[in-house]
Amino acid sequence: MDPLWNNIFRKKLDEDSLAYFLKHLPVFLELSPRALSILEAAVHVRNYKANETVFEEGDPGSGMYMIRSGTVKIYAKDQHGSEKELASLNPGDFFGETTLTAPAPRSASAQTTETTELIGLFRADLLELAERHPAVSSSILLGLTKVVSERLQACSLEIRRLQNQSGEHISPENVEI
Amino acid sequence: MSSPVQNYHGWTRARVATAFFVLTAAIACGLSIYSSASSLTGLSRAGFSVLFLPLLLSLVLAFLLDPVVTHIEKIFTRTSSIFIVYVLTMGLAFLSILWITPHWHEFWSNMGTDFPRYISQLTESVQNVISTLHSRFPVIENYNLPTKIRGWAEQLMATTLAQTPQSALKIGGLMVIVPLFTFFFLRDGRKILRGCVALAPNRHFEMIRDLSYLISRQLAHFVRGRVLEALIVGMVITAGLSLTDIRYAPMLGIFAGVTNLIPYIGPIIGMVPGILIAFVDLGVGGQFWWIVILYILIAQVLIDNFILIPVLISRVSNLHPLLVFFAIIVGGKLYGVIGMIIGVPIVSVIKITMLAVRTYRHNFRLPDSTLEGDRPH
Repeated sequence: MDPLWNNIFRKKLDEDSLAYFLKHLPVFLELSPRALSILEAAVHVRNYKANETVFEEGDPGSGMYMIRSGTVKIYAKDQHGSEKELASLNPGDFFGETTLTAPAPRSASAQTTETTELIGLFRADLLELAERHPAVSSSILLGLTKVVSERLQACSLEIRRLQNQSGEHISPENVEI
Repeated sequence: MSSPVQNYHGWTRARVATAFFVLTAAIACGLSIYSSASSLTGLSRAGFSVLFLPLLLSLVLAFLLDPVVTHIEKIFTRTSSIFIVYVLTMGLAFLSILWITPHWHEFWSNMGTDFPRYISQLTESVQNVISTLHSRFPVIENYNLPTKIRGWAEQLMATTLAQTPQSALKIGGLMVIVPLFTFFFLRDGRKILRGCVALAPNRHFEMIRDLSYLISRQLAHFVRGRVLEALIVGMVITAGLSLTDIRYAPMLGIFAGVTNLIPYIGPIIGMVPGILIAFVDLGVGGQFWWIVILYILIAQVLIDNFILIPVLISRVSNLHPLLVFFAIIVGGKLYGVIGMIIGVPIVSVIKITMLAVRTYRHNFRLPDSTLEGDRPH
């Protein structure tokens, strides 16, 4: 076939679509195809250059980012102002999900390390969805709650393990989650 | 070894030609843009002034109809929900036109004879006041107020009559354009807003997305509140006036409702014709006082101030009276009577936007002390 026509009539690969990407994130595993297409219209696709700041510590936080391609490093500044890398995230990972429902300043900074495509889902989008498609927004929130709860459980287990290790020196109030 | 077509600095003839054409084109473009710049601003100003009113009315209508459309959208698609809402709205509009037409006819046919009568009555009572004043302050004797009032009133009447066909034509145009614009705002409003927000740079995108949502929600709340308030005040006054023998009760009710959109001054302007007509036609008596009480106590104090404003309109959008006067004067200067009505809402919109931005920034400011102080050292 002529490459020109081939290019025009090429079927969009399912794996290339945004809905496919979203469906394979742990937060949106349970979504129906209809819900996925509604979610697809609600999220924002943003392209970042290498070493571009996504957000900084203390910025108003109002949503989560999912990495479609590229890498993002999460870091925080210590008391002396030097950067300490907390995590390096890859495609399929997401960050900032705790501020999606509870507005709070960002507790760490995020910066891309290469050309990166991020998918943003913000509280405003979720509130709009809740108004127009309550069922879809509740299944998104269920998935989100599931992920956040799992992380919270892992955190409490970790705190308990650390407590046991250091002989009750660390009380849960002093540990920042 | 260099080829024969190569020039001094390694530039081929083709390159020189390209550079020449590009430069010429650039200079020509620059010149043409420069020469047309003044006409461009003129053009954009003319275009803006034509579009301003229909766009504004369509936005207000879209804000009003959006909750209804969103409600129906849970069953049908967005486009068909808009059509359903349109059919319902048109039915309502048709019914209200049916109701208003006889009153309108009566109003216009009687206005020619009634208006001079009201004016002569008014000048007569002014004359009485003046004559008592003259006896006390002889200085103002040569200030002929009654003649002046008569002159103003006749001028007003003449302008109204002359401009009616013109405004009828304008209204006819609006009745075609506004529903069309409203349809697209209702259907694609979110997409348009998303498109605008998407232009924001990455670093500020999140904040701008959040703010755009907050501001558009507050604006919708404000517009719906204001229109609903005017509607209820208009209905209360129409109902109250219908209890008396006063003529043109529906017209006076509509007038009071529309002027109620302007804070502070609007209600006063709204009650002038009603009280004037009551004074001339009914005389100072029980019905006259009932109408005064209706306008001031029932409609303004009881319904508007105690019930509607606290329920419908947040205190946030309250403007300082001085700002209201500025808005009305500037609006009137720019766009006439319509400018006077929309000036105050536009200033409120600016205030709401600024307040939303400030609250947002304030809510998210991390106090440095808590950052450092909370940490166990």
